[in-house]
Amino acid sequence: MSAVISTECLTKYFGAHRGVDGLDFEVTRGETFGFLGPNGSGKSTTIRLLLGLYHPTAGHAKVFGQDPNRHAVAILGKIGYLPGELVLYPRLTGREHIDFVAHSRGMSDRTERDQLVERFGVIVDRPAHTLSKGNRQKIGIVLAFMHRPELLILDEPTSGLDPLMKDEFHRLVRETVSEGRTVFLSSHELDDVQRVVDRVAIIKEGELIVTGTVDDLRKAAPRTIEFRFPVNVDPEVFAAIEGVRVLDTDGRHIRLSLQGPVASVLQAASELDPIDVVARPADLDEVFLAYYRDTSADESLPEKTREH
Amino acid sequence: MNTDISLLDLRLRRRLLIGYTLGMALYTLVIVFLYPEFKNTTSLNQLTKHGSTAAALFGIAGSLTSPSGWLGANLYDNFLPLVMLLITVGYGASCLAGQDEDGTLCIVATLPIARRGILFEKVATLTVQAVVLAFVIMACTIVGRGFDLALPISHLAGISLGIALLGIDFGLLAILVGSRTGSRGVALGVTSAIAAASYLFSSLAPVVAWIRPARYASLFYWSVGNSQLTAGLTLGSAGVLALVGTALIGASIWAFNRLDLH
Repeated sequence: MSAVISTECLTKYFGAHRGVDGLDFEVTRGETFGFLGPNGSGKSTTIRLLLGLYHPTAGHAKVFGQDPNRHAVAILGKIGYLPGELVLYPRLTGREHIDFVAHSRGMSDRTERDQLVERFGVIVDRPAHTLSKGNRQKIGIVLAFMHRPELLILDEPTSGLDPLMKDEFHRLVRETVSEGRTVFLSSHELDDVQRVVDRVAIIKEGELIVTGTVDDLRKAAPRTIEFRFPVNVDPEVFAAIEGVRVLDTDGRHIRLSLQGPVASVLQAASELDPIDVVARPADLDEVFLAYYRDTSADESLPEKTREH
Repeated sequence: MNTDISLLDLRLRRRLLIGYTLGMALYTLVIVFLYPEFKNTTSLNQLTKHGSTAAALFGIAGSLTSPSGWLGANLYDNFLPLVMLLITVGYGASCLAGQDEDGTLCIVATLPIARRGILFEKVATLTVQAVVLAFVIMACTIVGRGFDLALPISHLAGISLGIALLGIDFGLLAILVGSRTGSRGVALGVTSAIAAASYLFSSLAPVVAWIRPARYASLFYWSVGNSQLTAGLTLGSAGVLALVGTALIGASIWAFNRLDLH
């Protein structure tokens, strides 16, 4: 699989302030790549570097094998971009925005754009300043997708959309990828990631802390097991087992975080005659939060998924 | 050449441009219509008779009651350049740095158009605004031929071109400062300060000896400060203004290519 995006030690500083530092990752053709991180972690900075809007302080990015700063025209012709904070011209209508971008891109076929307008119920006849955040975002989706780009770079794409529109957007992303096109999706909305993303990278304070498939991250994350016993039990029985942390207990009820095989925990519990057990795999938000906690991530997550 | 960005910016500024142009046209017509009332009021000439510094500060020199003196004192030497700079410096500061600050430049900057191409379209928009204002006002002053303001059309055309080039040059300076700093405020402030100094150098040069050599550094001197209304715009003056504009475009391309856009 060829890399649509690749970065090598990509670094951007704004004076003394670190934007991103030493990013290394690849996005291959035909995948949906999730780029996760909280506000201010460097997601938008990375995107602007990929689009050639920013100039790297060190390292480099390649999009379609080319430098975004040197070959912006060739690269931007194949990209659809939805910014995290889409700003439209306040007095122009949605149609005027769409017409302007379509004409600037040399588009003559209106089929795709008309379909997108209808599909998302885009309000095209009112000035942008009179539209809600969600309705402006729908215009942004049309602007990003209407020229059927080979690469979609979407920064917080579902921000402001209602649940129905989010569903529709996720369907659109899946259709796009099924056609062999590539989606780079930056978000702190884990729902977006869980539903459409193949691989994910998590960025924290400008540094990439992990990349992998969503399944890999889930497997690597600690699971939670809860036991209920007929009598009080000593939590040390479980705490002594390797890979187990006692999250909380009130004597008869105990909640454990487990990293590794479950057999030893079940064996220890069975000797105490439990009356109930609940075990569940880690949700992606737990994985995400675990990586973001200052110290717990380092304690609970395995080395094989950690890059730094 | 793609003109979408130029047309978009003109559309976004059409109300402002129409407002300024109509207002200035109306003002110019009033000046023209009033001339017959003042052309024999020789007491007005006392103001400039002995090389008054106060008159020089307003860009006024020579007879106020002559056709060229009347139009110069009331329009071409001060008010029209000021309004021209309001339009062009305002646009120069906002068209890249300002639009980047308010976020709308993102739509344009992520189109498959080279930054140089974006800049050229902005320069085209700047030029259209300057030329429209200058030559609408020229058309109004030509009306003055029916009101005893009989100046050669070639001189009116020359000074109109000079003022248009003056506006374009300062607009380009604002584009350059905006492209270098990414700040509309800095672009407005720096360019306005330089324009004010340039105006003072040109207008005070006739009455302050030590300033006189510095007038060559003033774009106002090459545009309106060297008797262009009576002698016309020389090829040399137009060349200086065009040369400065070309240099500013080159520097702006260099700066805009290096600017981090949001």
